[in-house]
Amino acid sequence: MAAMTGVALVGAAAIPCGRIQRPREAPIQTLEHEALAGCVLAAMRDAGLPREAIGALVFTHPRPYTQQRYFGTFMANYLRLPAQGVLMEVLGNGMTGGLAFDGAAQMIASGRADVALALGVNFETATPSPEHMNLIMRATGDLDFHVPFGFTPLSWYAMDAVRYMHEHGASRAELAVVAVKNRRHASLNPLAQFRKPVTLEEVLAQRPIVEPLGLYEVAPMSDGAACLVLAREEVARSLGRPYARLRGRGFYHEGAHQISELPNDMIAFDAAARAARAAYAEAEIGPQDVDLAELYAPCTIVEVCVSEAIGLVARGRGAQAAAAGETALGGRIPINTSGGIISRGHPPYITPLYSFVELAEQLRHRAGERQVAGAEIAIASCELGNYNAALIHVLEARA
Amino acid sequence: MTLAIEKAAGRRPWPPRQSEFTRRFWSALAEGRFTTTRCAACGKLAFPPRPFCPHCWHEAIEWVELRATGTVYSSTVMHAVPAVFAHEAPYRVGIVDLDEGLRIATRLLGVTEGFAVGRRAEIVVLAYEDGPLFAARVLA
Repeated sequence: MAAMTGVALVGAAAIPCGRIQRPREAPIQTLEHEALAGCVLAAMRDAGLPREAIGALVFTHPRPYTQQRYFGTFMANYLRLPAQGVLMEVLGNGMTGGLAFDGAAQMIASGRADVALALGVNFETATPSPEHMNLIMRATGDLDFHVPFGFTPLSWYAMDAVRYMHEHGASRAELAVVAVKNRRHASLNPLAQFRKPVTLEEVLAQRPIVEPLGLYEVAPMSDGAACLVLAREEVARSLGRPYARLRGRGFYHEGAHQISELPNDMIAFDAAARAARAAYAEAEIGPQDVDLAELYAPCTIVEVCVSEAIGLVARGRGAQAAAAGETALGGRIPINTSGGIISRGHPPYITPLYSFVELAEQLRHRAGERQVAGAEIAIASCELGNYNAALIHVLEARA
Repeated sequence: MTLAIEKAAGRRPWPPRQSEFTRRFWSALAEGRFTTTRCAACGKLAFPPRPFCPHCWHEAIEWVELRATGTVYSSTVMHAVPAVFAHEAPYRVGIVDLDEGLRIATRLLGVTEGFAVGRRAEIVVLAYEDGPLFAARVLA
């Protein structure tokens, strides 16, 4: 079903991804609400809208390390910002930021708000990685029938990689090209956590994390904060400046948590394929019409599999396409011009917000050195589990 | 079939909880039997075991013993691991498709090189000091 009212992305701002959070005992702290308030003000300046226009606030739920409880309503107080549409925090694993965007868009499409913010903060790096994994391992399947064996979120992607290499005869080096490509993109993105270009040899020489994947082939830990401003298209048009219009949306959850107990083709990413079909149908486009894509991909292999599932590259050819430069800036279908999760950074609950920040820049043709020439149609994809669910939005440039 | 029982050092890093319902699975495992539930109506198996059928939501189920053999679908070697598993790292985990058409994920034993995709494996019991876990041992 098409949106009842046109929805536009008219403003965006984020802090650079990185290690921002300080240890609990540090005398001076970095505070989540201060970081996010700066983003809200910057995003509204970017949109050119007054604060009184805001009718709805959809927050991403913060990490458990954030001490402030009920962060959303606290934040509304910090900003002295009332809302007549809705104020809520959403949580959907890695998809959380996408759900915030989706919720804000629905508030506008349904006529309950003229302007809505999708916003949030994800601070987590003050917790050492092994301790953090004690928490996130509890998401990696059934707490009693999977977790006791020592899985982490990354272990599922590593097993995707092993299966992909087995089925398609791809090498680790072919997959690792994705990391080199994304780092080159990140070198051009001021919001990126890792901006120094790397060679394929350097990627392959890193210590193993989850074999066959090493340090530069997997997601880092990151802090971040971001705010998107969505508006009714009539409001966007009245501003007299470029914006991005929401043209299609697709969602699918396969009814499985991390692993399907009925053997399936795990690397087909069926949820992504189904969500993409729905989004393309609503947008009345096909994958060949897409100019660039920001894909939620915590590992090299994930970018390969999802780019195949949503039809941007042929099945089994994702790694080769990356190696041939097809998915790089200047290539046929640039993927993750922001640098993606591996290099731009991965504050998980708001990672999808960063995808929209990138698309807002690209579709308004102001992404500088990493601008995709003539970018008109872009997609953002986010997921949870091992792409057990996918949420895909199609955006188009409007001047 | 009766599962091989292998001694494992120390306590289970993340001991599974048991309910009145799942206790039956863990008790059987301790005795060397790998069991799960089958729907009395549609006949489909579930894993983990459930007090209803997840496929048709019928509420009558029966416990069945599995052959406990299967084929490795994929695997990995874990180097970066949660703190509670640090003393066991690096270790292998894998996905095994059981011959009855169920997919499980567990520790993978008996592999020294490569990822064992497509190789046959059997379920074994790891007898920790505080109770059992299961694992898949890849066959030679």
